[in-house]
Amino acid sequence: MPTEKKHIRIFPFNRVEGDLKVHLQIEDGAIRDAWCTGSMYRGFENILKGRGPLDGLVITPRICGICTTAHLAAAARALDMVCGVRIPGNALRIRNIALMAEMIQNDIRQAVQLFMADFTRPGFADHPLHKEARRRYEPMKGASVLQAVAESRSLLEIIAVLGGQWPHSSFMVPGGVVCLPSPNDISQCRHLARHYRRWYEERVLGCSLERWSEVTCRADLKAWLTASDAHRKSELGFFIRFARTAGLHKMGAGHPHFMGFGGLVIPRDSAVASLGRDGELFPPGFYSRGKIAPLDQKRITESIDCSWFTEYGPPRHPFDGVTQPYAAGNEKRQYSWAKAPRYDGLPAETGPLAQMLLAGDPLLTQLVREEGPSVFVRQLARMVRSCRTLPAMETWLRELSRNKGLFYNDAPDIERGKGFGLVEAPRGSLGHWVAVDNGRIQSYQVITPTTWNGSPRDGNGLRGPIEEALVGAPVRNPDDPLEAELIVRSFDPCLVCTVH
Amino acid sequence: MTLSLYWLQCGGCGGDTWSLFNARSPHLPELFGMLDIELLWHPSISAMSLAEQEHLLAELTSDQRPLDVLCIEGSVIRGPGGTGMYDEAYGRPKKDLVATLARKARCIVAVGTCASFGGIGSDGEIEATGVQYHKWDKGGFLGPDFQTLQGTPVINLPGCPCHCDVVTGILSQLAEGANIELGDYGTPLEWYGMMVHQGCTRNEYHEFRVEEKRFGEKGCMFFYLGCHGPLVQGPCNKILWNGRSSKTRVGVPCFGCTRPDFPQQYPFFKTRNIEGIPIDLPDGVGRAHYLAYKGMAAAAAPQRLKKRKTGI
Repeated sequence: MPTEKKHIRIFPFNRVEGDLKVHLQIEDGAIRDAWCTGSMYRGFENILKGRGPLDGLVITPRICGICTTAHLAAAARALDMVCGVRIPGNALRIRNIALMAEMIQNDIRQAVQLFMADFTRPGFADHPLHKEARRRYEPMKGASVLQAVAESRSLLEIIAVLGGQWPHSSFMVPGGVVCLPSPNDISQCRHLARHYRRWYEERVLGCSLERWSEVTCRADLKAWLTASDAHRKSELGFFIRFARTAGLHKMGAGHPHFMGFGGLVIPRDSAVASLGRDGELFPPGFYSRGKIAPLDQKRITESIDCSWFTEYGPPRHPFDGVTQPYAAGNEKRQYSWAKAPRYDGLPAETGPLAQMLLAGDPLLTQLVREEGPSVFVRQLARMVRSCRTLPAMETWLRELSRNKGLFYNDAPDIERGKGFGLVEAPRGSLGHWVAVDNGRIQSYQVITPTTWNGSPRDGNGLRGPIEEALVGAPVRNPDDPLEAELIVRSFDPCLVCTVH
Repeated sequence: MTLSLYWLQCGGCGGDTWSLFNARSPHLPELFGMLDIELLWHPSISAMSLAEQEHLLAELTSDQRPLDVLCIEGSVIRGPGGTGMYDEAYGRPKKDLVATLARKARCIVAVGTCASFGGIGSDGEIEATGVQYHKWDKGGFLGPDFQTLQGTPVINLPGCPCHCDVVTGILSQLAEGANIELGDYGTPLEWYGMMVHQGCTRNEYHEFRVEEKRFGEKGCMFFYLGCHGPLVQGPCNKILWNGRSSKTRVGVPCFGCTRPDFPQQYPFFKTRNIEGIPIDLPDGVGRAHYLAYKGMAAAAAPQRLKKRKTGI
């Protein structure tokens, strides 16, 4: 039989943030090769040059409409380092609580509004759970969608109470935070967090956080799923049943390298325990084939061999980075406005799965070891990550209601200096690198989670994580390449960030 | 009557969309359901396949399907060198799609500062511009004389992001056929006929010139910390954010994100001033009178404000 070759382009790629174009080469019903393109250039790094030293706190949150607080935190941390200022424990708590609220809203919106909407599509018409999926996840109508819209919205009110608004506030500054929350403000935040937790337990998990924490291996997972109707019918239970039947655990492996920046710094006098050994809730690190190495940001470089930028030779660390768009590039080699970040020269996947692997989550570690990374395990990590963040958030809120400490330490005016801020954004590791001279920003470089995940090839021809995950996947209907879309969406891509 | 709506994202961050999800009354699913708005396409919501998307665009551009409301989020990217190829769609600059759909729409709403005036990229290499304004000047991408099929100019809803209630409000008014009164720069008076400063809980401090030079205090931020509250129009302190608060209430200076020149070229967090008095004074106020008024106000300030004893 002759081989059947086909090239398809997926654009505009809906239910991801921003403009993503995916080019697939399909041969005999499977993806032979893939190219991931950020098709819009936004020029933030150059807009920041020459601006006031604190302006990153206002400009960079506007890189992204859904992980805006993460950009603010990265910008503030970079300036903390430039100033050498100590951050009061209460300011750390407030920063962490806001970051976690944003992360939790993103996780549920991605799962219910962006990802599982695919379960309603005609491509799944022969799936035994298709009808039920439509009842739950039909855009703007499904029963689960209506709940997720309401609950994610109310959780975000925490950020408004502490930081004035979501999205796009600038309440974190070098030295801490600007707000002075009253005891009632903190009570309100605690109510909002409790309310969300109750909903998350009842409807998303179908059990308490404690019961879920007992699920530590594949056998436990199987037992959990059959233990009660509430488990089976929860969003998580439904997802697991739908995904396993659809074979999503055999799809979208990608590279075996994962990276996380940690970034939720635990105040010295806090009862919150780190999930690793460092003073951060989630440990930073680089995970490759089951082994965890400590993270060293000096090992990060960006290659632009396949990106539309003026060449700068070998890959560069962001402190030496330059962003010079070059629209008339060699179209055969260059195909994206995203640079190609690498850790020790390797592409790395970042996001909830990476974070949970670095935290040594036993269930996810076993699943990855035995089944490999997949669409299923990536989504599972995202749906259960809140089990780790919600309790810490509640503890920090409780500590805030009892503490009398400061929220801000005076930071000096910034004349010159260099700093970087690494945080874990909802979609993965986010870094800002800033250099100030003569009281003005001299250089500002940002590497976002989807710059990592959605990266194009580098000078060695290594594919980015999403590209790699696509290769080998089956495509039943090239006119409706559902499988490819699911793989891409399992990375929760954010292209507005990527092409900053 | 069903109102069809197409949401086109251009040079932006998606923040206006996620801000819209903050809507409470009506919330987003309710808005579409109760007002009978048919959402033809929204990139963050639609579950359409690739083929269905292409079919929809073909129907709209060939007049087989009417388009009542075109919402545009994000700036129109014209760079490099006017080609628009920094934002490419279907092998062509996305600005071509903006032009095509603009000619088919009965009504156009520019959601957010980027779509209204150019916003973040308007001074950058991407040559961003607003749909019908470029900063303070009428014109922008479609030109000063552009009118929609029903003979109206583009409705601008600035804000970075735009407040959800402004978007749901304008869509409600369009669905109900209400009369929308536009003020300066194509913005509806209902939400932009007031200053951001109106309703700020720090107003008493402002009134008596109890001004802060340091973050994390209770006083006013207008004289030293770069607050634009008395200078720019917007409803932030009337309708509040996320139903809870506002930046100025919690101690973040207003950055003037609804103003056509946002982001301003001077540094944030610092008020430009002459001898301790801001260069930019509240709209329509004379310098001499302002000096006299602020001098007397400071002298009259009560102890409870000077000692920051009053709650905010």
